Amino acid sequence: MAGVSTDSGESLSLNLMPMLDIFSILITFLLMSYSTDPVSYDVNNGVELPESMTVSTLDEMPTIKVTKTDVIINDKKVASIVAGDVEEAARSQGAVFPVFQELQKLAEATKKVIGGRLSEADKARLSTLTMEMDQGHNFKLMKRIMLAAQQAEYITFKLMVARQGD
Amino acid sequence: MSRKKKVRKVKYRDIELNIMPFIDVFSLLNTFLLMSAVFLSIGILEVQIPFLTSAPPEKKEESRSLEIKVDMEKAKIEVTAAYNKPPINEQKREFKVDKADMANLHKFLLELRRSNPETDKVQFFTEDDVVWKDIAMVLDAVKVRAPNDPVIVPAGASELDKRLAAEFLYPKVVMASVMLR
Repeated sequence: MAGVSTDSGESLSLNLMPMLDIFSILITFLLMSYSTDPVSYDVNNGVELPESMTVSTLDEMPTIKVTKTDVIINDKKVASIVAGDVEEAARSQGAVFPVFQELQKLAEATKKVIGGRLSEADKARLSTLTMEMDQGHNFKLMKRIMLAAQQAEYITFKLMVARQGD
Repeated sequence: MSRKKKVRKVKYRDIELNIMPFIDVFSLLNTFLLMSAVFLSIGILEVQIPFLTSAPPEKKEESRSLEIKVDMEKAKIEVTAAYNKPPINEQKREFKVDKADMANLHKFLLELRRSNPETDKVQFFTEDDVVWKDIAMVLDAVKVRAPNDPVIVPAGASELDKRLAAEFLYPKVVMASVMLR
C-alpha cells in the first residue's frame, strides 16, 4: 500500500488494489484481442468495410483505396468521387483514366524491380491488386476501377472486408 | 535456583509488499498493448475479372461440365446452372437479397458443388446500382465454405486445390459483368 504522512504525523495510505484489478482485467482483454494477422492495417477514416465470413486474412497493404470522396492509389489521390461516381473528366471508355495511368506506372516499376524472367508466382502477384472500398459505393464505380485495372493488366482483386466474429 | 524459561516474544512487524514496480510493468504493458491492438480484423474476398488475350485458343476438347451463373440485381439474385454440352439440364433458382435467403442460396450452391465437384468456378454478374455491401454478402454465400459444410475435393486435386477446397465452396469467382457496358 502506498502512503504519505501529513504535517500532523498522520499517515494516509492509498489503496492501489482496485487499480491493479482494473489493469489486470484490461491486460487480459487486450491480450485476448491481440491480432496475429500477418499484416496489421488501420482502415482509412473515410471507409466503412462490409462484413464477411471469410477466413482469408489480409496479406498485403491495399493499393487502391476508394473512400466516400476519393480514389487513392498508394497514398496518392488520383480522382474525386461526386455523387457516387468519378468526375466526368476522369472517365474514359467506361474506366477511370487516372487509375489506369497510375496502375500502369506501378506495374512497370514492379516489373523493373523483379526483372528478368517471371515465374508463374511472380506473374500472379503482378496481376493482383488489393482494394479497400467503402461499403456504400455501387458496382458502377467498382466496375470502372476494375476496368481501368484490367487495362493495366491487373485481373485479380483482393477486396477488403471486415471479418465477422473476430 | 529455579531455571527460568526464556520465552521469546515474537514481534510482529508490518511488512508491506512494494507493488509499485508491479504497477509500472502493468502500465507499460497496457500502453504497448493498446498501441498495437487491432480492434477490426480485416479479411479479403478474392475475385477475378475476365481479360482479353491475343493468344490462340487452346485446342483441347472440352468435356461436359456444369457452368454456374449468378445474376445479381438490387433486390433479387438469379442462379442458373447448365451443362455446356447436351443434355443441358438447366436449373434456375431465384433468391431475395436479404440475410435470410442467403442461407438458401448457399445451400443450393452447395448441392450443385456436391453433385459436380469438378466445377469450382462461378460467373458473377451484377447490375450497376447494386451496392458493395450487398455484393459482399452474396459473395460470402457463393464463395466461402461455412463451418458445417463438407470439404469437397475433386478427384486428382493438387495440394493447392485441396487447400482451397478447405476454405472455399467455389474458389474462383469471376466478376463477368466488368466487361459488359
